[in-house]
Amino acid sequence: MSLEGKRILIAKPGLDGHDVGAKVIALALRDAGADVIYTGLRKSPDYIARVAVDEDVDAVGLSMLSGSHNEIVSETLLHLKELDASDIKIFVGGTIPRDDHAGLREAGVSGIYTSDMAIADVLKEIELELRNA
Amino acid sequence: MSGGKLNNRRKMSQALSRVANASVVETLKNQKELPKETLYRIGITGAPGSGKSTIISNLVSKRVDNGSRAAVLAIDPSSPLTKGSILGDRIRMDSVSNDPNVFIRSIPSRRSHDGLADNTADLLWEMEGYEFDEVILETVGVGQAEYSVRALVDTVILVLLPESGDAVQAMKSGILEMADIYVINKSDLPGAELIAAEINEIVSRNTYSSNEWKPCVLSTSNHSVESFNALDEAIDEHREWIKKSIDKEHERRSRVRYQVQSLINRRAEELLELMSLKEFDGRPKEVYEKLIKKLLIK
Ligand SMILES: Nc1nc2c(ncn2[C@@H]2O[C@H](COP(=O)(O)OP(=O)(O)OP(=O)(O)O)[C@@H](O)[C@H]2O)c(=O)[nH]1
Ligand SMILES: [Mg+2]
Repeated sequence: MSLEGKRILIAKPGLDGHDVGAKVIALALRDAGADVIYTGLRKSPDYIARVAVDEDVDAVGLSMLSGSHNEIVSETLLHLKELDASDIKIFVGGTIPRDDHAGLREAGVSGIYTSDMAIADVLKEIELELRNA
Repeated sequence: MSGGKLNNRRKMSQALSRVANASVVETLKNQKELPKETLYRIGITGAPGSGKSTIISNLVSKRVDNGSRAAVLAIDPSSPLTKGSILGDRIRMDSVSNDPNVFIRSIPSRRSHDGLADNTADLLWEMEGYEFDEVILETVGVGQAEYSVRALVDTVILVLLPESGDAVQAMKSGILEMADIYVINKSDLPGAELIAAEINEIVSRNTYSSNEWKPCVLSTSNHSVESFNALDEAIDEHREWIKKSIDKEHERRSRVRYQVQSLINRRAEELLELMSLKEFDGRPKEVYEKLIKKLLIK
């Protein structure tokens, strides 16, 4: 399995300034064959959606530790929709309480990866999700 | 920016992906009629980490100041092993990537080894027709031997560093005569003046007739926004010079030549990888002829 030819945007919305997790996943995705773009810290959902469109990515990974993930996810999805880009998949990573998972899935998130998951499992799931795209 | 324009943007963006992902055969089959006039193209090249993306960011913010629109194609290297890449140029262009008049596309080099990416020529052609005023191409960080960008752009900017002593040596021996504008970046670091003087000296040693372009040597630093004014002006000057002096036919032919060469390189490499080792039985001449047959596209 490989992510060769897939374009993935790793985005850091919200106010927290920790992007170690985002960088780890970015490197792991690259090693799995993907072309990875990273937004840098503290980007707005509107900005993230526009970069996703300009870069024509297959998926956006939102890395979040700040707790405002529900708003950020719904806003990002909304902006993507406005840009006629609802086919771009959204993954969420970081500290996401169990209780929020169902709601996020319902909103349209394709995968939720909490910090306790093994990277190899995360990659496997992303590969599966994008293969059917 | 209106929603309508952005929808258009999505279409353009997807069209670019199709071009980027096309195989050699697809590229040749789908090739559009070459436009008579192409957008003005600026190429920025130089060693890894020399500051190409940072310069583009500073430059673009000046160049779209008056409402014009710029597209940036920024190439980063693909891992030959995993084929993956971290496309890190965009993050250095943070300050302009919010500007609706700026479009940035990060591109992995894929199979190319010449500082450009697969299908770069077609990607540049694809940028026509979207109301951009100019296109800026950032090459992979390369050493001194890669000048492919020359064939595809109008103005070549070579970025050097205060410690680029080896580049100066290369210039002395004449290898490094490919740029229209030399930029000593990170001129806030020690040694910048020295290297600028050396390069100026090398450039001045040559004689330029009145219809030739005399390369300019400039210093920039991201600690000084003003240092990019001179670069901005030098680009405009070169653009004006090109309008008067460049033989358009010659330019078109050089671009086609580059494109054919890069398509053949890629196709040959692909085919060689597909061939089993057994197929290399025999003398090189026979294998060579077998490969040539395979290269033909029906
Ligand atoms: N001191 C100093 N540092 C600079 C300057 N311009 C860029 N840098 C730094 O140099 C590093 C590389 O800059 P980039 O713009 O990414 O260089 P690049 O040539 O695009 O790099 P690649 O695309 O990886 O080859 C970054 O850490 C920049 O902040 C400058 O004028 N002065
Ligand atoms: Mg760069």
